Amino acid sequence: MPDRLAAEITELVGDQADGWDRSGLIPHELLRKMSGRGLLCAQVPEEYGGLGLNSAQGGELTARAGSLCSSLRSVMTSQGMAAWALQRLGDAEQRSGLLGGLVRGRLAAVGFSEADAGSDVTAMRTTIRRDGGDVVVDGVKTWITAARYADELVIFGRYEDGGAVVAIPADTPGVTIEPVPDPLGCRAAGHSHIRLDEVRVPARRLLDGAGMPLPLLITLVLAYGRMSVGWGCVGILRGCLAAAGAHARSRRQFGKPLGEHQLVGRHLAGLLVSEQIATRACEHASALWDANAPDAVTATVLAKHVGATQAAQGAAAAVQILGSAGADNSSLVARAYRDAKLMEIIEGSNELCQVMLAEHVLSRS
Amino acid sequence: MTAPTDRPTDVQSAISAFIETRTRTTPEPDVDIFAAGGLSSLFAMELVVHLEKTFGIAISGADMRLDNFRTVDSMVGLVTRLGGRVDA
Repeated sequence: MPDRLAAEITELVGDQADGWDRSGLIPHELLRKMSGRGLLCAQVPEEYGGLGLNSAQGGELTARAGSLCSSLRSVMTSQGMAAWALQRLGDAEQRSGLLGGLVRGRLAAVGFSEADAGSDVTAMRTTIRRDGGDVVVDGVKTWITAARYADELVIFGRYEDGGAVVAIPADTPGVTIEPVPDPLGCRAAGHSHIRLDEVRVPARRLLDGAGMPLPLLITLVLAYGRMSVGWGCVGILRGCLAAAGAHARSRRQFGKPLGEHQLVGRHLAGLLVSEQIATRACEHASALWDANAPDAVTATVLAKHVGATQAAQGAAAAVQILGSAGADNSSLVARAYRDAKLMEIIEGSNELCQVMLAEHVLSRS
Repeated sequence: MTAPTDRPTDVQSAISAFIETRTRTTPEPDVDIFAAGGLSSLFAMELVVHLEKTFGIAISGADMRLDNFRTVDSMVGLVTRLGGRVDA
């Protein structure tokens, strides 16, 4: 089944990714269609109407999307994180209703970051408070992937002594969504700022787990996002490898194919090594995830970090190999170059991943 | 091979052993392991996953509260309440 699904995504994207990057927009109908097919969060269990892929299969599907269009793959990461949050924290009604909606055509975004709370989630200022049978949400979220397209905003905020997560319909009064006009990468991923002014929703939209420490809630939900970004980076590398290989074989300079010039060959070898390293790190983390092994938590951070750094390095090499042929700003390798840089920043920057991995070493020493 | 859930000491020793290998400290059953600091959110997540796998339970929704994970005793309570089994 995963192969058929990957082929379906390839067909849906076709040759449109360059244009989406240029216009900064993926057609809404296409995203709705993919949601309705369960393709945007393919790991949703079948009992909720999802495709029920495991992490390894879902990862390969994510990589396929990432090899074609990182904007689309980012939308999948957001939808998948929202689904994971609802699955892990939602009660039975929220799972069948809200989670089921995400495989029936609805789109979702997840709101963590704020102007003063990027890596430091403890600085989060958005508040969620009970008011009778409702909850009221106030705050401003920044750089929220897919918010431009979303029907459902899964928002993190302070609640009593800890944190909470609430699912807010994007058309609720008091919600303002303002697209980021000119992002560096994943330009069609719908990055937006979200203003929440006295937004009131029924308390049944508050997910369970309310009052858990914010860092724990965020770690729980980000784990899915990190796995997804890692696989997305594998996709970036596969896309770059295919483009660079084809170019180095066909383009001739100084009387022979580019790839037979050793300095160019070295870039090709490096790209292959990067793709393999990232793939193995993601496969390992997904295998632990699917085995429900505690080590999956750290392996996920490692896979994201390895994926992002290898993709940034590999995409830069691919642009170098293609030269002017890859210098059109929306061409596959140019997009990869800009998109991969963003992957070193989101879902835990390189530096934050390193801090977490160092803490892991220290706690075991 | 499964053991009945009415043997909380087995559950307790399995949880204690896990914490010991991960933190290099032996936890007293009623001491808040997060109070001393130094334990990351990643470790908390590892605990959640470990309990699910080891005792064959699914922790979700309202059970996802830090209070359920603060002490070995509270984790034993959670596992017992969710019908967890050793060697599940």
